[in-house]
Amino acid sequence: MTVEQNEQPERGGDGWFVTAAAVAGDLDNPFYREERQRDVWNEAAAIGYQVILFLGLAAAAGMLWIGGEPSMPYAVTLLAVLGIASIISAVYAARLGVDVDESTRMLRLRMVPFLALLILVVAGLVRVAPADGFGSGLAQGAVAGAALAVLWLAVKWIRARRRTSGAGPVSS
Amino acid sequence: MGRTSAKGRRNAVRAARTAAGMTQAELAGQLGVARQTVVAVEAGDYAPSVYLALAIVGVLGGSVEELFGERAEVASAASGKTATKE
Repeated sequence: MTVEQNEQPERGGDGWFVTAAAVAGDLDNPFYREERQRDVWNEAAAIGYQVILFLGLAAAAGMLWIGGEPSMPYAVTLLAVLGIASIISAVYAARLGVDVDESTRMLRLRMVPFLALLILVVAGLVRVAPADGFGSGLAQGAVAGAALAVLWLAVKWIRARRRTSGAGPVSS
Repeated sequence: MGRTSAKGRRNAVRAARTAAGMTQAELAGQLGVARQTVVAVEAGDYAPSVYLALAIVGVLGGSVEELFGERAEVASAASGKTATKE
């Protein structure tokens, strides 16, 4: 492969999604101009995001297993909020050329409690879902969404494992 | 753990700054960064961007290699050991 063939094309404009996400994230705030401040805040935001994700899933599981059927709409709303925020983050990163399913990120033991919580949530939804009506549809949709998420994670995990078994680590 | 970014790599910024007779706050002011950023760079807790590294060189003189290169790491490590013995 020649150097020219191996090169990435120059990126064009950011597009509406990245522009809108930057506005939502207030990324032109003068605070971000100081580079270490920006780096440290990136780390702080990553910590906050992981904590919110973990506590949010735990709260949804708790609602479903302790609160039962009456709390199902609240749990589903919470899951939807977590899901939308996660998708926006992943799409933003992907639009800027950062693959969030990169193997070093996926192949972590820390995924186990997340997956366990997700399974607990799905099982809770199945347990409390009413037999018919809007709640049933809501539960079925949430279960289908969660199943798709688990399937997506599993596929990415397998691909990442194949990649890492074929090549050594890139970073030092 | 995975905190940024210099992973404890040493540099000669502190030596160059003191040789220039500047305080951390004065250097930070000239660079347009927070004093804590200068503190973190000197301590090897933060690897500056190439633009900040060039700005540091612009203020303190020398070259990026002299301040952040392998020789700077070795010299800084040696001075650190001497200071520890003292």
